[in-house]
Amino acid sequence: MEKGLTVRKIVIAGVLGAIAILLGVTRLGYIPVPTAAGNATIMHIPAVIGGIMEGWGVGMIIGLIFGVSSFLNATVPLFKDPLVAILPRLFIGVTAYLTYVGLKNVNQYLAIGAAGFIGAMTNTILVLGMAVIRGYMTLGVATTVAITNGLPEAIVSVIVTLAVVAAWKKLGSAGRQKSKISGDL
Amino acid sequence: MSAEFELTRNITIGQYLPTASVVHRLDPRFKLGAFVILILAIAICDTYVGNLFALAICIWMFQISKIPLHYGISGIKPAIPFIIILAIMQLLFYGEVVNGGTVYLKYGFITITSESVRLVIVSAMRFVEVIFLSSVLTLSTSTTELTHGMERLLGPLEKVKFPVHAFALIITIAVRFVPTFAMEMEKMMKAQASRGADFGTGEWWRIIQRTKDMFPIIIPLFNVALSRAEDLILAMEARCYTPGAARTRYTEYKAVGKDYAALIACIVISAVMLAIPW
Amino acid sequence: MTQPIVHVENLSHVYMQGTPLEHRALDQVSIQVAEGECLAIIGHTGSGKSTLIQHFNGLIRPQSGKVIINGMDVSSPKIDIRTLRRQVGLVFQNPEDQLFEKLVGDDVAYGPFRMGLPLEEVRRRVQWAMDLVGLSFEEMKDRPTFALSGGQKRKVALAGVLSLQPKVLVLDEPTAGLDPRSRLELLDRIRRLNREEKLTVIFVSHNMEEVAKLADRVYVMANGQSVCEGTPRQIFGNQELLRQHHIGTPESVDILYRLREQGYSIDPSAFLPEETAMEILKLMNR
Repeated sequence: MEKGLTVRKIVIAGVLGAIAILLGVTRLGYIPVPTAAGNATIMHIPAVIGGIMEGWGVGMIIGLIFGVSSFLNATVPLFKDPLVAILPRLFIGVTAYLTYVGLKNVNQYLAIGAAGFIGAMTNTILVLGMAVIRGYMTLGVATTVAITNGLPEAIVSVIVTLAVVAAWKKLGSAGRQKSKISGDL
Repeated sequence: MSAEFELTRNITIGQYLPTASVVHRLDPRFKLGAFVILILAIAICDTYVGNLFALAICIWMFQISKIPLHYGISGIKPAIPFIIILAIMQLLFYGEVVNGGTVYLKYGFITITSESVRLVIVSAMRFVEVIFLSSVLTLSTSTTELTHGMERLLGPLEKVKFPVHAFALIITIAVRFVPTFAMEMEKMMKAQASRGADFGTGEWWRIIQRTKDMFPIIIPLFNVALSRAEDLILAMEARCYTPGAARTRYTEYKAVGKDYAALIACIVISAVMLAIPW
Repeated sequence: MTQPIVHVENLSHVYMQGTPLEHRALDQVSIQVAEGECLAIIGHTGSGKSTLIQHFNGLIRPQSGKVIINGMDVSSPKIDIRTLRRQVGLVFQNPEDQLFEKLVGDDVAYGPFRMGLPLEEVRRRVQWAMDLVGLSFEEMKDRPTFALSGGQKRKVALAGVLSLQPKVLVLDEPTAGLDPRSRLELLDRIRRLNREEKLTVIFVSHNMEEVAKLADRVYVMANGQSVCEGTPRQIFGNQELLRQHHIGTPESVDILYRLREQGYSIDPSAFLPEETAMEILKLMNR
């Protein structure tokens, strides 16, 4: 990132950081889908969106805010370890940004969706990897969780990221799409 | 039942409780510094007596900040099941991993040693201590003071070109908007519930459907947030806010005797905690 | 009065009970609304208006006291909350924020779809609701929501509630933040809903012109209590009361009172703009 943060970057990082905190402290951060944990988190999504919209620096700061808030709110000792709760979260927005930039010339939708997927996977893999390194769980358990929890979470992440970013960027579907209640009965 | 939508009540961040105690009036820079030192000491300390001592200190801190202890306890309650499950896991499987100590029990793959018991008890105590300390800090310090304190403590990093001020501003904006968005979210949930929304009723295996069930809240929440951001950007640029420009401060902190005394007391407490050999 | 459609008796509500931030929002409030009425609730910010109206569709359950909507007791734990919410449509402040579907038609159809209605019925209701708020069904249903103006978005949100076909429509500051033209148009739509579609309308407002124009009856709230009740004529005719509770008056009422203070003989309850004009003309012709 260039040296100075622009006003836009500062504000977007702050506002999306606020959402990351909010999702962390309310049950809205969890979507009840079948995973090992019984739900998928969407708390990493502000970092993904920040990365897509304003670059890796903003993504990283939102990841930091998400990490610190999950550290402060943790109810399980696993996340009371800053190396597990905070460090991995810094990279969510960065990988999401790189994915988006790499693919955006191919197709906007593909790039946004892929960024959502990679961002979520970054979160899952790095957190679990750190948990293994720090001795909270064995590699076998971590792999199982990564598949049973990480994959549904990544799917959720793709859907939400696409919906939010497409709506905000006003990606034109106008004229092409018809309302569900349209057409002949 | 009526608490169904009362989200703001459950948000503990920045839940400042103004009791005007000595702790409340400490210089936030010193308070934050002392907090960091104590947390580090707790993270390192792995003795029974040391942790008992730390726990006693934490409870005493509630006393001198005139904050009812149940504020701290309510932060622990939801965690109890997790602590118990983790404790059992550690107890059953960590005998082999943690070296040393006398073996109490060995049965099949289960090994329980004095060291694994210590790990279990100490990590549970640590957890309680961290919750208590964070509660005292956030209940006795307003979020403005916290960010100011943090900004000043990080001040020296300006020398290595780290944008301390911008960083502090981001944190300020984030913390400032949490209650605003919480209220927006509450309104959104109520408004959509009024239209018949029912969150997460699709069959449990239909991930996409379940995710879309949350759209009526998530999409408007991000939209409201991003449009607030646009307003704020415009307002700041209209006032010629320039990131990184030199500026004076509205609040100046001046440390007095009691601030130094509090910091030294916390250093001594940390040293004692770590020096206790049992 | 026949059996009231909304019956509130001695309703109290305390937020954050048992904490130092405890706040009594409602204190022994009693309100009756007859079917087909258009009722305004006015009062200073923080007087408990929003808390009160959220009881009407069970978003907040009564802590003490009674709320009975069209014969359904909201305090009963066995009440079917979804049926209740179909009977009472609640439109929040700035309802345009709640649009989330990409297309106008889909957003209006959200409620009926949640009710599990068949497609033809959903379509019929969406068309009906959009007609009522003055949006052309054919032209607007496939438009993306983000391309609409503020006033249009608010109409879409209102249609989204109307498509539930409620018996009672509750609006929290329906015209706040709209430009004068959209404001007048929306007021006109609401009035028609009440007069022609026979909906019972309850609205909260800070705009006294609006209250004067729309309401059959007014409740004044202050400090969580319902301090008085009457027709707009009775309420605006009582300047003492309005001053005491920091409630503004329509400009026409201000003019009438000022003329009376100057010693002119004038009827201060003639507050509709046309009536005020007549009163002034009478004075000038004398």
